[in-house]
Amino acid sequence: MSSITLTINGQKVSAQPGQTVLQAAKAAGIDIPTLCHHPALAPSGGCRVCLVEVSGQRALQPACTFPVADRMEIQTESPKVVRARKFVLELLFSERNHFCMACEMSGGCELQALGYRYGLDHWVYPTYTQRFAVDASAPHHLLDHNRCVLCRRCVRACAELVGNHTLDLRRRGAHTMLCADMDVPLGESSCVGCGTCVEVCPTGALVGKRSAFMARPSDVARVATVCTQCSLGCGLNVVMHRGQVLCLESRWEAPVNGGLLCRRGRYEALQDRRTRLLDPLNRENGRSVRASWNHALAEVARRLHHGSPHRLGLLTSTRLTNEALALLHAIFIKQLRVARRGSFGDPPWLPPLPACGKLADIAGGDLILLVEADPAREQPVASFFIKRAVDRGARLVTVESRPTELAAFAEVSFRPRDMAIAVDLAMAAASPVVIYGAGLRKSEADLLQKRTPKARFIPLVPGANTVAAAAHGLIDRLDPADCSCLFIAAADENGALDQTAARISPSAFVIAMASYVSPLTERADVALPMATWLERSGGFTTTDGTLVRAHAALPPSGQSRSDWDILGRLAERLGLDARAARSELPRCDA
Amino acid sequence: MSKVLIATDWLAACAGCHMSLLDMDERILELLNHVTFTSSPVTDLKHPPESGVTVGVLTGAISNTHNIEVARRMRARCTYLVAVGDCATFGGIVAARNLVGTSAALKRAYIETESTVDGRIPDSPELGRPLPHVTGVGEVVKVDIFLPGCPPRPDDFYYVFSEVLAGRIPVVLPPQHLRYD
Repeated sequence: MSSITLTINGQKVSAQPGQTVLQAAKAAGIDIPTLCHHPALAPSGGCRVCLVEVSGQRALQPACTFPVADRMEIQTESPKVVRARKFVLELLFSERNHFCMACEMSGGCELQALGYRYGLDHWVYPTYTQRFAVDASAPHHLLDHNRCVLCRRCVRACAELVGNHTLDLRRRGAHTMLCADMDVPLGESSCVGCGTCVEVCPTGALVGKRSAFMARPSDVARVATVCTQCSLGCGLNVVMHRGQVLCLESRWEAPVNGGLLCRRGRYEALQDRRTRLLDPLNRENGRSVRASWNHALAEVARRLHHGSPHRLGLLTSTRLTNEALALLHAIFIKQLRVARRGSFGDPPWLPPLPACGKLADIAGGDLILLVEADPAREQPVASFFIKRAVDRGARLVTVESRPTELAAFAEVSFRPRDMAIAVDLAMAAASPVVIYGAGLRKSEADLLQKRTPKARFIPLVPGANTVAAAAHGLIDRLDPADCSCLFIAAADENGALDQTAARISPSAFVIAMASYVSPLTERADVALPMATWLERSGGFTTTDGTLVRAHAALPPSGQSRSDWDILGRLAERLGLDARAARSELPRCDA
Repeated sequence: MSKVLIATDWLAACAGCHMSLLDMDERILELLNHVTFTSSPVTDLKHPPESGVTVGVLTGAISNTHNIEVARRMRARCTYLVAVGDCATFGGIVAARNLVGTSAALKRAYIETESTVDGRIPDSPELGRPLPHVTGVGEVVKVDIFLPGCPPRPDDFYYVFSEVLAGRIPVVLPPQHLRYD
């Protein structure tokens, strides 16, 4: 499409037809202030802070919604514009409590920054006196109506990004209030606790409970990493304040999730209260005692060298990095030829088809076929993508043996025996997206792929870095009872620990890498302290096959080391070139 | 050339703004080459002279009838009135009282506080009567220059005084001298 030329503040600017004035100005490096506008949301033109003067227009126009036209002349900071903008800000400051000195967001508040930019040194309108209750009923975030400017960013994020439609406005004019569902407390509402509203709030109206009042927004650093709560591999920022983790925050440019996080990823990931394993432990005369890394690794290498390979077992967690999984492959499969290997999680399941679709493709589908997957529970961010597609008009068809939450959004839900009907529906669609989980059988997958060649297939595998673990041949079924020597990498899978510990033979020699003290580390003859997900860098292969990279935000606690560091040192003791094993890894996309 | 006369006074304030003013350190000496502080809450002479001053500085919010008297007296005796701090410009932390109401705040402070025994709300005729609403100074008298901040930093005071001495009135605060916290 040919570009058009317009003039902004006397400067010639070329723009594309269909762009807004704000977009054209931004591309030309001209800053127009905004408040209700957010780059991840559709423009709404509600707050009027971005008003500009447009030639031929009788009134000032909001830059965020006004489309550009050829030979248009725009003034963004003329006296008329500045006067109007200050008036808008004075009105915004005239309602609710905007006393900055007691606000969590002071220093990071967009309303405050606008007040500074336009020199608002006092309020023109009478001091506002009405008080509203603070809604602290949700587990991880709170809503302070007193700070709200009704910009609707949270309302739009909840609808447009999360597809949840919990938040909305009630009443009109000066009585307008933000509310959840039919005006119930957040904690009793349909809120899924993903915190996207907190992320987009320009003021201190929506804040995270854990991080509120802990640090000035200007006094933090950010580290980009990858969530390992599920197999989506969502990118996020770890927000650091003086060496401590303050909170987890959206990274809008993240490749898989585009900034969305779920409650597990944004909040619960920081709530692990288990005791850390901080030193290598070695069992001597039946008692577990602190040992040096040298001593512990020498003992492990001796056991692995001299044990019989067919009685040696490897139990893998899918929360390890690509580097660690490659090293496990090099050590246990190539070198030691271990036959007994398995993973936490029951039953072990792998996608019968290669991934040929990205999470982002859901947005382009006209029919979503969800087969034996419960993303609302297992991979919530994927469920946000699906609900968004449904809002946009895509049809959702589910095939499920157990009821799932997303079935409520489905046009029709089938039992697995009616798979063929669901496939027929997908066949008739222009661009179907098949999202499938652990229950999809090979025969059904083949049928799907044969009959819907234009479809995109996105597996939702259980666990976390399961795709990489599978590529290294580490996903299988293992009964710990069959092993006389068991290497566990890593023993942190909540829920599976007691059960696994109980199955281990009393005479077996157990080596456990772990971040936390558990029945397995207590049973272990050698326990190797491992860095947590916040303390290690490394690659991660997402369920849709994207390679992403995590970056350590914290140094490893105590004597713990990164998973790949532990295994690299072990490989060297076994006479392997750890660097060679890691150099075979593909490069990360992001 | 004679020195410019400055008087300061406080209303419902915590004294933090005056502390910040004094925190200009040795620049106060430089300032004193050009100005004379006639009176202030932290000097022996408390009240602005009847003969008047060029610059009047008020810190604190309008919280009771006494505050209104002090603000009106300063207004009457100065050419340029400067409202300093969040309390004088917006009502500040004192205006938190508006959220519960004056009578509830007095009851809580003088009667219901956990450590209070036989509490009584002071009602001496010598005291100013609390107002139903706390406001900034600008709602009672005309203010020429506003300098918000809790408190404004010494640099901000110095900037405002320098501008006034140079005759650049009204003073426009650049972003580095404008703070709400």
